[in-house]
Amino acid sequence: MGCSSSLPDRNAGRLGSLNSGNSMVTDSKNLRVKLVLLGDSGVGKSCIVLRFVRGQFDPTSKVTVGASFLSQTLALQDSTTVKFEIWDTAGQERYAALAPLYYRGAAVAVVVYDITSPESFVKAKYWVKELQKHASPDIIMALVGNKADLHENRSVSVQDAQDYAEKNGMFFIETSAKTANNINQLFEEIAKRLPRTTPSS
Amino acid sequence: MDSSSALSQPNFYDFLNRMRHPASADLVRAIKSFIVSFSFHATDADNDSRKLQDFLVTMETTIKEHPLWVHASHEELDSAIEGLEKYVMTKLFNRTFASSSEDVKADLDVSEKIRLLQHFIRPDHLDVPRVLHNEASWLFAAKELQKINTFKAPREKLLCIMNCCRIINNLLLNISMSSNYVPAGADDFLPVLIYVTIKANPPQLHSNLKFIQLFRRNSKLVSEVEYYLTNLISAETFITNINASSLSMEESEFEKNMQLAKLANEETAARHGSILQLSGDDALTTRRHGKEIHVNLEGCEYPFMESEAKDLTVEDVQQLLRLYQHVVTRYTRLTKALARLSLHEERLLHTMKDPASSTELKKEIEKWLHKGILD
Ligand SMILES: Nc1nc2c(ncn2[C@@H]2O[C@H](COP(=O)(O)OP(=O)(O)OP(=O)(O)O)[C@@H](O)[C@H]2O)c(=O)[nH]1
Ligand SMILES: [Mg+2]
Repeated sequence: MGCSSSLPDRNAGRLGSLNSGNSMVTDSKNLRVKLVLLGDSGVGKSCIVLRFVRGQFDPTSKVTVGASFLSQTLALQDSTTVKFEIWDTAGQERYAALAPLYYRGAAVAVVVYDITSPESFVKAKYWVKELQKHASPDIIMALVGNKADLHENRSVSVQDAQDYAEKNGMFFIETSAKTANNINQLFEEIAKRLPRTTPSS
Repeated sequence: MDSSSALSQPNFYDFLNRMRHPASADLVRAIKSFIVSFSFHATDADNDSRKLQDFLVTMETTIKEHPLWVHASHEELDSAIEGLEKYVMTKLFNRTFASSSEDVKADLDVSEKIRLLQHFIRPDHLDVPRVLHNEASWLFAAKELQKINTFKAPREKLLCIMNCCRIINNLLLNISMSSNYVPAGADDFLPVLIYVTIKANPPQLHSNLKFIQLFRRNSKLVSEVEYYLTNLISAETFITNINASSLSMEESEFEKNMQLAKLANEETAARHGSILQLSGDDALTTRRHGKEIHVNLEGCEYPFMESEAKDLTVEDVQQLLRLYQHVVTRYTRLTKALARLSLHEERLLHTMKDPASSTELKKEIEKWLHKGILD
C-alpha cells in the first residue's frame, strides 16, 4: 500500500557518505543517527518517512523516494546538523519476527499507531515492550499517533497515549502524513533529545 | 544508492606498489608479523575478527602519519586501507572463511532448504505485488549474488550484495515510474530480495554473511551498506525458518510440497553430472501439448512413448534429446554397476520371466551380503 495523497518525486539521486565511526556520532556538530520505524501494517510509517524526506529539501535533491533506506539531514538552530538514516522495515505480518535484526544498534525508534485503530495502539505497546527487552538500553523512543487528520474517527485518546508514553519514558506526538502536520516537529523533537558528546559550554 | 563507500574502486595495485617502496619496509614488517601472529592461535572467529579490526584501526593511524602518505588525500588514504584489508584477508582467507563445522553445516542446511523451496515457492507466497513481478530483472539480481564466491576480499563480496540490491531497487524505481504504482519501501524490497535469494541459492550464504560482518572494516559497515547487508541477513533468517505459516500455506500443503521437492531432488541427484539440467523451471515436470506430464524415470512414465515422428515439435526434440541422454547415462551406469557385481544383465532380465531364477539370485545376493562383498 502506498501513500495516497500524492505521487512521490522520482528523482533517483545519490547521497554520498563517507561516514566513519560507530552507530551515532560523526563529530560533535554533525550527528549521524540510525532510526527505525515500527508499528502495525498500514499505520503510515512509510508515508511519514516520505513526508519528512520530501518536504525538507528542495525536491530536485538527493533522495530516492520510495526506497527502503532513506536519509535526511536536519539543520538545527544551534548550527549543528543531524543526519537521520531511516531504516524502513517490511510491515507484512510474516516478516515481523525479523524486526530485531533492524532495530539492533538503532539510536532512535519511532513507534507508530493509527489514532483510528485501537488494535494498532495495542501493537504499538507490543513494540515498546520488545524494544525495552531487546534494543540498546539508551535508545530514544517516540510514540507517534498518525492519521490525526481523521480525528472524527478517533478511537485512541490523546490522554491514553500521553499517559502510556510518559510511563515508558517516551516522547509523544500526533501527526498526519497526509496533511504534513507535525511531521517535521516529530524529527526536530527527536533531534533535541539526542545526546551530544561534547555539550556546548 | 550510495556509491561512494562500497562501490568505489580502490586501486589494489597502487597499494602493492607502495608496499614495494623501500620506505614502507616498516609497514610490510607490521603486516607480515600480523599475519604470522594468527598461526600461534587456534581459529576463533570472534577473536580473529577483533584482531583484524584493531589492526586496521591501528594501521590507519600509522599510514596517515607515514612519510609515503604525507600529501595523500582522504581517498588515497582510504584506498590504502582498502588495499590492506584485501591483502590481509586474502592471506587469512582459508583460516577465517567457513572455518568451523557449524558454519559448514549452516551453509549446507540453508542451501538444501533453498533447493527444496525452489520447486514450489512463488512471488505471491512472499507478498510480492503482482505489478512488480519481473523474472528477467530478478535473474540479473540473482546472478550478482551467485558471484559472491569469486571474491575473497570482504569488500568485494559485499559489493556483490550491494549490486544485487541496486538492481532490485532500480527495478522498483522503474516500475513506479512507468506505471502509477506507488512504491512501498521495505514492503516491496524485502520480499523481492528473499525471492531473488531463493532463485540464486548463493554459494555458502551463511559463511559469506558471517565473514563480511566479521572482517569487513567496521567503519564501512554503516549507513546504506549496513542496511542492505542487514536485509540479506534477514532474508537468510527468514528462509532458514520458513514454514507453512510464514508462506500462508496449509500445513499439509507445505509438507506435501516439501516432500515432492525432496523426491525430485533425489532424482536429480541420482543423475547428477550425467545430464544437462532441465532448462527453465527446475521441477521435473515438462509441458507438452498444454498438459503437464511428470517425468518419472523410475516409474516408466516416458512422455514420448506413444508419439509419432510427425507430432514432434522442435521443443520436443530438445527434450527428447535430454531424456535420451538421461536414459543412456543411467543405463550405462547400471551396466557398470552390474559388472562390478559380476552379474550379467541377461541373467537379471531373465528373472523377470522366471520366478525360480529370481529366488536363486536372491539367495546368492544374500550370501554376498553376509560375506560383505557388497559393502
Ligand atoms: N488519512 C490518512 N491516511 C494516511 C496517513 N498516513 C498514511 N495514510 C494511509 O495509510 C495507508 C498505509 O500507509 P503506509 O505508509 O503504507 O503504512 P505503513 O505503516 O508503512 O504500512 P506497512 O508498510 O504495511 O507496515 C496508505 O493508504 C496511506 O495513504 C495519514 O496521516 N492520514
Ligand atoms: Mg511501509
